Amino acid sequence: MKNSKMKKGAGSRAASLLMANSVPIMFVLICAFCIPISGFSPNYLMNEIVNRMGRNTFLILSLLIPIMAGMGLNFGMTLGAMAGEIGLILASDWQIFGIPGMILAMIISIPISTMLGLICGKILNMAKGREMVTSYIISYFINGIYQLVVLYMMGSVIPIKHSSIKLPRGYGIRNTVSLINMRQKLDNLIPLSIKGVRIPVATFLLVALLCVFIIWFRRTKLGQDMRAVGQDMAVARDAGINVERTRIISIIMSTVLAGFGMVIYLQNMGNLSTYSSHSQIGMFCIAALLVGGASVDKATIGNVFLGVTLFHLMFIVAPSAGAAITGDSMIGEYFRVFVSYAVITVALVMYETKKRREKSQLAEQLRLDQAMEEANEK
Amino acid sequence: MKNKRRFLFRAGAVALLVLIAALMFVIGRGHTVYFDNKTLEYQGQAYEAPYRISVYVNDEQVAKLGKRERGMSPWMGQNFRMLLEVTKEKGGETTAHSVRMPLPYNMDGIILNLPAMLAGLPPEAYLSEFVQTAEPEAPEDESVVTDEFSDEAFMEAMEG
Repeated sequence: MKNSKMKKGAGSRAASLLMANSVPIMFVLICAFCIPISGFSPNYLMNEIVNRMGRNTFLILSLLIPIMAGMGLNFGMTLGAMAGEIGLILASDWQIFGIPGMILAMIISIPISTMLGLICGKILNMAKGREMVTSYIISYFINGIYQLVVLYMMGSVIPIKHSSIKLPRGYGIRNTVSLINMRQKLDNLIPLSIKGVRIPVATFLLVALLCVFIIWFRRTKLGQDMRAVGQDMAVARDAGINVERTRIISIIMSTVLAGFGMVIYLQNMGNLSTYSSHSQIGMFCIAALLVGGASVDKATIGNVFLGVTLFHLMFIVAPSAGAAITGDSMIGEYFRVFVSYAVITVALVMYETKKRREKSQLAEQLRLDQAMEEANEK
Repeated sequence: MKNKRRFLFRAGAVALLVLIAALMFVIGRGHTVYFDNKTLEYQGQAYEAPYRISVYVNDEQVAKLGKRERGMSPWMGQNFRMLLEVTKEKGGETTAHSVRMPLPYNMDGIILNLPAMLAGLPPEAYLSEFVQTAEPEAPEDESVVTDEFSDEAFMEAMEG
């Protein structure tokens, strides 16, 4: 009897584990199916994965703090990305090369990110419970302001000297800004190659530093406050925590880190698409995090690393696998775009379902308690 | 007291960031250095270009210049270092010259006349600013696509 109960318990535990990790498992299966068909060598795949991991991880890590504060997936990280881009445009125009150029771009991005994060945080405080859709729309709103600054004010109000950056009409920034003098300077700062796989050691050190910071931050008073706010705002307020301020700080931190992440991302790419680099970055980072098994209310550093590996592995192999199966690489292209949006949709639906289920369970519990109380009174 | 400490801490952090930014302006200032192997006339005397000059920057050969040729290399910072391997005549002996020189901060592009420099002339003789004289023909304004739902973006997507 006891044995069968234990078996049943283990079975349900396995089922719930499978359910909880359904997205990463699905991606592992997709990758396992696509890798042999794509025909890429293990060495090539490793090189690509390591390169993309260095490029994207910092950006994705910037999403963890708002999740901790219960603000969900911060689509407003795009704001930080825009700040990073403005920093890079100015550093390029001032002819600051290499790592000093990156550091300068990061420093320039800090006040811009802080200001944008503050605006975003204040608006999100007015839209509690609808943070994700609000931050998504804020990113479009701020994109308009970014375009106003970059397309009209740079070169006319903000001095831009070099014609290689400026549009021929005399103001505004070109569609593409070359970052050739910064290209992979951080990645190649400490050169290391293991069996033909190039490891961007310095970039990984920065990522490791951010991971240590996040772990340390969780244990600080502010970190504990954020977790309390994330669990229950009313209880946190009763405990004397300034909920609104804590939420704003979490968004500011995320935006500033996203600005740094964008500088790291673009130094790896070696050029900047002035009007489109930032537009998809939020979506892809969020998709990667969700692929790693994170949810709207819970994400860990492990989710980030698993997510970036699986998501980008699919990005690399899907077009070739699509071409091998159907003879058209565009099928793989469509597939990966479809999957990244689908993952976000499924995660949001799952979160909402879970929230509703918890709410109805709570209501049911309340009803039962009331009925019991009434029965006792009789 | 607590407020004062907080203010001092914040002011210190801002000052530190400004200091780091200023430092980056100095150590990260980039220049494009152009090397000319051209005969130069200075104060009535001609300084002949040698047969060949090989230019090494950061232990990497960046130019191998014959007579009347120009090479270039990017450089970060104000203390420029290079190694020149000079062959005066065809089949002649090659001599190596290590050169260290300060670069002017305000110039993006700097032209160095190598024969004049090797002859030991003052910087105003061999160093000049690179100014782009030939403007590209009637610059056409590039169309900027800022809206992913715009007609241009749609047409681009349709054309693949």
